[in-house]
Amino acid sequence: MRLRVLTGPLGAVAIVVVLGSATMLAAGVSPIVGFAALVGGALGGRQQIAETLVQTTALLFPALGICLAFRGGLFNIGAEGQLLAGGLCAAAAGIHAFAPAPLEIAAVLCAGALGGAAWGAIAGMMKARLQASEIISTLMLNFVALFAAQYLVNGPLRAPHAAGPETAALAPQAVLPVLIPQTRLTIALPLAVLLAIVLQFVLSRTTYGFALRALGDAPEAARRNGIAVARTTWTALALSGACAGLGGAAIVMGELHRFNTQLSPGYGFIAIAVALVGDLQPLWVCLSALAFGMLQSGGLAMQAIAQVPKDAIGVIEGVIVLVLAARRYIVTKKEIAAA
Amino acid sequence: MTATVVAALLWLTFVKATPIVYAALGGVVSERSGVVNVGLEGMMTIGAFSAVAVSRATGDPWIGLVAGVVAGALAGAVLGWAATRWKVDQIVAGMGINLVCAGAAAYGLVLLYGQPGASPQVPSLGEAYRVLVWFALVLAIAFQWWLHRTVAGLRVRACGENPHAVAAAGFDPLGVRLQMVTWSGALAGLGGAFLSIGEVNLFSDGMTAGRGFIALAAVIFGRWTPLGAAAAAVAFGFFEALQFVVQGRVPWLSANLVQAAPYVAALIALAGATGRVRPPAADGVPY
Repeated sequence: MRLRVLTGPLGAVAIVVVLGSATMLAAGVSPIVGFAALVGGALGGRQQIAETLVQTTALLFPALGICLAFRGGLFNIGAEGQLLAGGLCAAAAGIHAFAPAPLEIAAVLCAGALGGAAWGAIAGMMKARLQASEIISTLMLNFVALFAAQYLVNGPLRAPHAAGPETAALAPQAVLPVLIPQTRLTIALPLAVLLAIVLQFVLSRTTYGFALRALGDAPEAARRNGIAVARTTWTALALSGACAGLGGAAIVMGELHRFNTQLSPGYGFIAIAVALVGDLQPLWVCLSALAFGMLQSGGLAMQAIAQVPKDAIGVIEGVIVLVLAARRYIVTKKEIAAA
Repeated sequence: MTATVVAALLWLTFVKATPIVYAALGGVVSERSGVVNVGLEGMMTIGAFSAVAVSRATGDPWIGLVAGVVAGALAGAVLGWAATRWKVDQIVAGMGINLVCAGAAAYGLVLLYGQPGASPQVPSLGEAYRVLVWFALVLAIAFQWWLHRTVAGLRVRACGENPHAVAAAGFDPLGVRLQMVTWSGALAGLGGAFLSIGEVNLFSDGMTAGRGFIALAAVIFGRWTPLGAAAAAVAFGFFEALQFVVQGRVPWLSANLVQAAPYVAALIALAGATGRVRPPAADGVPY
């Protein structure tokens, strides 16, 4: 058990070192210079550490959602679309000042969670009622969310005098309080960690968590033992979407203070790697998100200082997903053999 | 006037459907052998990028086309290897392939041309792209025959239904699967190359725009048969073509909403088709 939690991260670190060096050498940069820029960009100072934690937060919310869905055997690959839906709903609610700060923040966060949940629930309902593959429906919904959001920020929700397609700025009381002055790090980070603790509890200590895990590990046994498969399925995808939606809301309320469709550089997809490295256990996913947050913010510095294209990070993240895709299945098989 | 618009829409439908048809055929051969290929999107991307890179380097778009196919096949082989030798979760591994390919293409753009976003213009196939449009349809018919009327095709289908039976008959289901996923990647790469040096003459980030995913929906809607999947791909191509015809003619309709049409159509098709269609029994199940 202890070993299993460690093999993922160790493998991931090995991939980062080997592949990172290769991509740096291909760009004609010494890996020492490249990694120095990467680490310096991630941890070099107060500002850099804050930015790393901002990226951590943005990845942690969708990764927790993916974690929840994957544990139930549901391939939610639509975190990106759910994040967009959540961000959009949060912005739509937050541009109006309607309550004092703490209340308004809570309400706007709820709007974000509901937006993501609604988007996830579409795929959930299609799966529960029609047996439509959630893999393809969530993938399609990513694009529908993107185009719908583009339509809204170009049309009905566009700020009157905005230079580009974006919504108006949020009301001041809808902006998340900053944790470290002069940085973009907000209370979204502790909220995300709190969410992880709650999810860990739900998964390991509640009836719902048990039903979900049963559905993921042994769907036929779950069904025969009277677990409400349809209800568990659609609620899991809705909850998964709510987590991603909260991530979108956190970006809108903490970083941009408005919504535009460029708010995510693929957080919803990178979050798959985050969830897998964290072994689909919410508390470990927090640490995994921190590591990927360092890669994300360090990647920008690596590009600026060492002239290594930051897209190398995308390749590395992809290989991590590819290699770790083997792990869960093998582990399950071994456990069955041992039992 | 109306007749020319209809004719143009019809031709545009087939042009827009072509990359989806290639990818969907790739999806069919892969899934019939028992491997779900969610990496089609990435394989198209790397095919599109490699075709542009080689076409620019050699000056010959046909060599570029071959390079696109080979690059797609390589990506397919990686997924095939992972699926057969490492017994990975195929969905997750496919998404990994997508991340790798998108990252590699973006990285290559900066490395080769020093600019993110899009490549410079390269030699394209020009009018010869029409050949590839017809070839896609010919290929769909050929695959239909091959998969359902030949011994090799039967073996592939058997791998997707019951790989243990294939092994009992003395054949290697893992080898068949690896081969089929590699072919699947080659077809997706061809579709990608059609996008970059067939329809236009450059590569831009995100130019595949989910066509590989739409191809997956086409596979389901086409009941896992080559002809069915190709027909479904043409239907999705119609919705894509529609936006070029509608644009400027129907001012109240937002371009963004029309762009979403193929994806919404795929969603509705998915909702309508599933339950009534059955995937290969061992589709996505590691052997």
